[in-house]
Amino acid sequence: MELVDKVLRGDEGSAARLISMIEEGRDEGYEAISLLFPYTGKAHVIGVTGAPGAGKSTIVDKLAISFGRQGGKVGIIAVDPTSAKGSGAFLGDRLRMRNAEKLEGVFIRSMAHRGFPGGIAKATLGAAYVLEGLGKDVILIESVGSGQTEIQISMICDSVVTVLTPDYGDEIQLMKAGLLEIGDIVVMNKTDRPGAVEAAKDIEFYLMSHKKQHWQIPVLTVEAIQGKGVEDLIAALKLHRTYTVENSQGSSKKKENIKRLVLAIFKEEFWGETLKKIQDKAMFDDIFQQLQNSTIDPYKAVRMVMDLALPTE
Amino acid sequence: MENKKNMKVLIAKPGLDGHDRGAKVVAQALKEAGMEVVYSGLHRTIDQIVNIAVQEDVNVIGLSIMTGAHIPITQKLFQKIKEKGIGDKIVFVGGVIPSRDVPKLKELGVVGVFPGGTPLAETIQFLQSISKKG
Ligand SMILES: Nc1nc2c(ncn2[C@@H]2O[C@H](COP(=O)(O)OP(=O)(O)O)[C@@H](O)[C@H]2O)c(=O)[nH]1
Ligand SMILES: [Mg+2]
Repeated sequence: MELVDKVLRGDEGSAARLISMIEEGRDEGYEAISLLFPYTGKAHVIGVTGAPGAGKSTIVDKLAISFGRQGGKVGIIAVDPTSAKGSGAFLGDRLRMRNAEKLEGVFIRSMAHRGFPGGIAKATLGAAYVLEGLGKDVILIESVGSGQTEIQISMICDSVVTVLTPDYGDEIQLMKAGLLEIGDIVVMNKTDRPGAVEAAKDIEFYLMSHKKQHWQIPVLTVEAIQGKGVEDLIAALKLHRTYTVENSQGSSKKKENIKRLVLAIFKEEFWGETLKKIQDKAMFDDIFQQLQNSTIDPYKAVRMVMDLALPTE
Repeated sequence: MENKKNMKVLIAKPGLDGHDRGAKVVAQALKEAGMEVVYSGLHRTIDQIVNIAVQEDVNVIGLSIMTGAHIPITQKLFQKIKEKGIGDKIVFVGGVIPSRDVPKLKELGVVGVFPGGTPLAETIQFLQSISKKG
């Protein structure tokens, strides 16, 4: 396919087009991904997750520059939320990546999540393949940043960085939000703010007492605006990369993750296709009519919709 | 799951002027109208704007210009997008634009001109109507 050849030869415009085709769910886009797939799997794919305003974009900007200085070819995918009320989105991460943008060869793509769960868009993994096809060997993915566990981002990344700030609250809040359930490295950002070092110590203690795997999650203190601590973060990322390649626990996690991602995408697609098939049926309206008249209860309505979608022979 | 083509718009601030309230208001309105909006931030060169348009694969570029330099800036933008092979992008201009300059901008290839004070609904309607045609 001509488009794939162009991507492999480093044509940015073709890569950008191909990413859009995957976002649109076009067959040609998926065929191109199949052709690109054999060329992928070597890049270090790094996810950055954390609450809104924690400093994810600023950290991605600084990481891109440092990796770039070390000779890395960096691609960035920045995911932002689609409005809950419609299809609109404000893609604003790029604004904080202006230093990285100036570096020759850094490709930045913003992306609306379009309702996909887990901090990424359905097309994010595809976009990462495209960027690798384009020649990038470090791919930084900034998640939506919902402030809760963003499971899906951990499914497509080799290493996940969870960004916290000193005002995260207390341990209970962290556990409730599940923020420490994913993440191979924790960053305590905004160390210019009071309480950062203590907060980092608290989390370090918590993680040590909850260690579940061979990899000990490090807690690093960073002041992203000044670039402080970024070199240590890169060193930790490289160490984690080596761990995932060499340790059997690390590589089997990766295989399990990709299966979970396929199931997650399948769930979304299946839901969309099923709804398309049943929503025009008279029975569909009828069920909701009955529900609104309170002649059936909500769980009954769900079972009736299920019967409509998956009729038993 | 949304599998449809969604309109993606770059709102760009070229050149020296430091006012972006208007640009941000337009960006917000387009978002509310269901579009995916990338905002460039202040003080962008034309090369940077075109680079963003390429990487983001937007359908539409909206330039917000308050400095009076709208004609040379627009001229340069069209020259660069053609060079980069994205001459097919829909371009509109907003900001401080005297009405006598509108014909000249259209001649350069600008599809719509929306001077400050244009009702947001008008800009939105216009963009939605051209996206349907394309
Ligand atoms: N004080 C302080 N502010 C920071 C630091 N890092 C980022 N910020 C600011 O925090 C705000 C949010 O940053 P951003 O990177 O956009 O966060 P994101 O929403 O997680 O992507 C911006 O105003 C940044 O300038 C830091 O180390 N110290
Ligand atoms: Mg951000």
